Amino acid sequence: MRELRFHRELYRGECVDSAIQVYAAYAEITTEEDETHWIVRIAASSPARERRIGDEMANYALGLTVREGKP
Amino acid sequence: MTMIEGIPEDLAHVDLDEKRAILDLDASLYPVEALYGAAYVFIDRCYVFLDRPAPQKLRIVVTPKSLEGGEAQLRQVVGELANELVSAAWRHQITQENRARIEAVTMQAISGAMGPPSLDDLEDFDFTDEAFEDPLGIAMSWEEKYAKKSDPAEETAAKGEEE
Repeated sequence: MRELRFHRELYRGECVDSAIQVYAAYAEITTEEDETHWIVRIAASSPARERRIGDEMANYALGLTVREGKP
Repeated sequence: MTMIEGIPEDLAHVDLDEKRAILDLDASLYPVEALYGAAYVFIDRCYVFLDRPAPQKLRIVVTPKSLEGGEAQLRQVVGELANELVSAAWRHQITQENRARIEAVTMQAISGAMGPPSLDDLEDFDFTDEAFEDPLGIAMSWEEKYAKKSDPAEETAAKGEEE
């Protein structure tokens, strides 16, 4: 299980959601939120795959956030 | 965690096990927009993750997509990212300083492209403002300048005809 914590002041929630939708086909993804972060947990067939999917998803969410502007 | 030669340990360090470099930045020196600008440049060759570990701290975690050069490559990525951050922060500051000028030029360009005002626009326009100051009192309105001057001989003739 890999956990990504996207800070709410740095990532737009809808961009994180879009990234999750794109990569949901490749892993089991669960979400949670606390006061400061959007928390995304990724479970896949191997730790290497979890890491790869997490990294790609983080880049995707960052790219969308930069394009949309600061949250 | 390994420190990077030439860079203070509290600013940047390398995690060789995870094959990533971590930069901690002072949020008062680097605006978030600069962070986005610099991070965006790297997302084609690195995985980039942003965080805010403390209210006055920003963190960038970069993991090269292919790490063939080992620690040296990580060190190079950190150096390039630090340079890009300075550049992005500087560009952001210039943009902020020139914002009013950019807005004025943009407005002029847009108003020019909109074409001449319509009759409704002219009807709504407020003409009551003084056009300019005239301290010597030499300005003359169009009506005053081009009004038909009355001829005294013609006036007398006209009066005679009426009588």
